[in-house]
Amino acid sequence: MEPSDVHLIQSTLAGDDGAFAMLVARHRRRVFRLAGRFTRNDHELDDVCQEIFIKVYRHLGTYRADAPFEHWLARVAVRACYDLLRRRRRPEEPLLDIDLASEDNLAPAQAKELLDWALAQLPAEDQLVITLLELEEQPVCAIAELTGWSESKVKVRAFRARHRLKCILETTHE
Amino acid sequence: MSDRLERLFYAGRALPPDTARVEFGFETRLLARLRTESVPWCGDVWKLLPVFAAIVIILGAWNYVSEPLDLSAMLSGGATGELLANALGGGVQ
Repeated sequence: MEPSDVHLIQSTLAGDDGAFAMLVARHRRRVFRLAGRFTRNDHELDDVCQEIFIKVYRHLGTYRADAPFEHWLARVAVRACYDLLRRRRRPEEPLLDIDLASEDNLAPAQAKELLDWALAQLPAEDQLVITLLELEEQPVCAIAELTGWSESKVKVRAFRARHRLKCILETTHE
Repeated sequence: MSDRLERLFYAGRALPPDTARVEFGFETRLLARLRTESVPWCGDVWKLLPVFAAIVIILGAWNYVSEPLDLSAMLSGGATGELLANALGGGVQ
């Protein structure tokens, strides 16, 4: 029988790094998937994921077992990704070689490339809310919990972000 | 435009990021980094640099303004016996 998260956390706090490695192995897929939505390359992804788990390791003593560990971990991960977006300068590179005239027939990879480019033009808060809402398909209440924002702020942000995204795509299309 | 956006979102959902390469060996790299960072004060030593610099400046200034110890004058002034007694007795008379 596999040890529970709480058991692994207690062992880690007692100095067992092997227990922490097990905890990381158990939850890393979800963290990588989320962080991968915000990072531009493997190096950045590795960096931000290490940053997330180092924060978790250092603040493990503050985790209270009244909520699942993965919720706590997801909050730490979202905060780290948001910080990454805020630190990052807006991209200066132009849109890659995509024929927007035939946008209706774009291959999925090209459509994703176009979306990634358009998202990168948005402010950090807009990128975060659109990614969580539309790509990760998180409900508004979950996003509010993950970000620490009110539900109304999440809704307003999402509305504005969608509007900005539409404007960016319309401008690009012209 | 909404349909267009929805199509892009659909493509984004359909193609989740491929993270397999970075996940490989991640725990090993993470634990190695945690071990190197496990001495927290090492990273903060540089913050004490102004304090060390201030101490050096104060000691230098104190040394400059204070009267220097003139051993030759003490010896020629007949204090040889006192000096010898101090040296042999550890400063206790």
